[in-house]
Amino acid sequence: MSKLVEKRTVDMEIIGDWVEPNTRVLDLGCGPGVLLDYLVQTKKVSGVGVDLDLARITACVRRGLAAYQGDMTSFMRAFPDKHFDRVICSRTLHELGDPTAVIGEALRVGRALTVGFVNHGFWKNRVDMLIRGRKLRNPVYTTEWFESRPANPVTIADFEHFCAAQGIRIARRAHLAGNWHAPCRALPNLFAGYALYDLAR
Amino acid sequence: MNDVIDPLPATRPAGETPRHLAPGEVGLVAPRDFVHPKPFSFRSGQTLPAFTLRYETYGTLNTTRDNAVLICHALSGDHHAAGWHSPTDKKPGWWNNLIGPGKAVDTRRFFVVCANVLGGCQGSTGPSSLNPETGRAYGIQFPFVTIGDMVRAQKLLLDHLGVAELHTVIGGSMGGMLALRFATDFPHFTRRVLAMATTGRESAQAIAFNEVGRQAIMQDPAWNRGDYAKDAGPRVGLAIARMMAHITYVSDASMDRKFGRRKKDTANGDAYTFDVQFEVEGYLRHQGQSFINRFDANSYLYITRALDQFDLAQSHGSLEKAFAPVEADALIVGFTSDWLFPPEQNRQLALALLRAGKRASYAELSTDLGHDSFLLESEELYSLVRSFLERDQPYVFDYAI
Repeated sequence: MSKLVEKRTVDMEIIGDWVEPNTRVLDLGCGPGVLLDYLVQTKKVSGVGVDLDLARITACVRRGLAAYQGDMTSFMRAFPDKHFDRVICSRTLHELGDPTAVIGEALRVGRALTVGFVNHGFWKNRVDMLIRGRKLRNPVYTTEWFESRPANPVTIADFEHFCAAQGIRIARRAHLAGNWHAPCRALPNLFAGYALYDLAR
Repeated sequence: MNDVIDPLPATRPAGETPRHLAPGEVGLVAPRDFVHPKPFSFRSGQTLPAFTLRYETYGTLNTTRDNAVLICHALSGDHHAAGWHSPTDKKPGWWNNLIGPGKAVDTRRFFVVCANVLGGCQGSTGPSSLNPETGRAYGIQFPFVTIGDMVRAQKLLLDHLGVAELHTVIGGSMGGMLALRFATDFPHFTRRVLAMATTGRESAQAIAFNEVGRQAIMQDPAWNRGDYAKDAGPRVGLAIARMMAHITYVSDASMDRKFGRRKKDTANGDAYTFDVQFEVEGYLRHQGQSFINRFDANSYLYITRALDQFDLAQSHGSLEKAFAPVEADALIVGFTSDWLFPPEQNRQLALALLRAGKRASYAELSTDLGHDSFLLESEELYSLVRSFLERDQPYVFDYAI
């Protein structure tokens, strides 16, 4: 079992704890549907995933999940307010083209929004940047700058600033240490590797 | 229709498996006729004393009678979806690449049924059938047929075949409309619906193309208000209708790749003539000519009218209301280069199903072949279809790692 897969399951367990059983869930950037499948199996949610990639949609269909291939913002615009009990945006935050629009739409179509992201401000990242002076390369940030999609590396401080500026209420937060396992209790922007937020308007 | 199975041609090289006997193919097939001996009422209020549907089946119905997959054909399609009628056939059935043992629609697992639609002209009752009251072809005395009528007739066939519930109904283009109507009209009966390159209602542009086709037929003097002998009729008009419609099934890019501006050898370099010069002209003329030998002009009028009239939102108040009774899981597939029933119209179907609280997926294939892309030989499409039909049964997750 690779370290990254272990990390993924921790992420899933926390989101799973926050998701109410038998609710309607939208997973933005659902990938091959691992999280959604987990939520369907453990929480009996009725879920739909959105992703841009045909192979990932096919993987979702193979799992028996509902999945929509296309742009997540235009997808959400097709739904009335509060259509979903919860929208999940796990590990896609830094790749969003227009984060304000996506989060705004997610808070409109969902009663709650769960966001999970890697904390770019984690101390090892800072040290790495300070010493190497180059784009981060590690098991989390796997690509060279010229091989990756445009990304907005976001820190916990950045995200909390965004929520405050937008008037978004933070209902719950979970900061995990560098191993993405133990809770991080102090100075999360420096010591947390991964952050999860439960948001509402 | 070729019911006779010819002996193998003697000239076949020894040791080479003929394609119709090759593993992974359904092989030689023969169409059959289902006769519904009772009166059938159309949506229009008109009735037929009885009707026939010509159909084919591949694979075997299981003991629980729930492994049936219904294939619904498009405007000019027919019941011959897979296999060969005779070893000398030039081509197999129209969706042979998708259907067969081990293929995406696996005939070792599913009982596959495909029927020519009511109102068609490939063996099912339609305008070219004899009206028992007059002893002549119905012509335009034939009842106006709707997509819903076609679906009800095919449901009677499935009942006759002993199908308890449809595992999946699959269709592209008009076939997708039939598939959706199966899900809305027979919700308990239809477990999965897979609709490709289709729409909940045609746009003005699609209706316009159909109207030009109908006008080409009806303005041909040989149409004679639908009253013509079996081998006569508006052959010119029907050929023109087909030539034009064919353009809407492909794309600028695919035509350019296939023909470009290449000239026919027979053109003699003489630009000052209206004979065929470009290869694309010759191709379209060939499409038109081969169509008039297999299709009835009145059927073309009736079926294009059924396509135009199809409007799920209007008939139920909204798409969401139309989909409210659906119990099937749905997969809608759009194709990027389809400009007849574009991806957006397919997306709208999936979104409306989701808004109605149904389990629906939307997938989009990047192709440049236009509307006919759903017939594409594509591993991506096969994988998608197979995933939807054979997807994993729910299982207990073990995340104790």
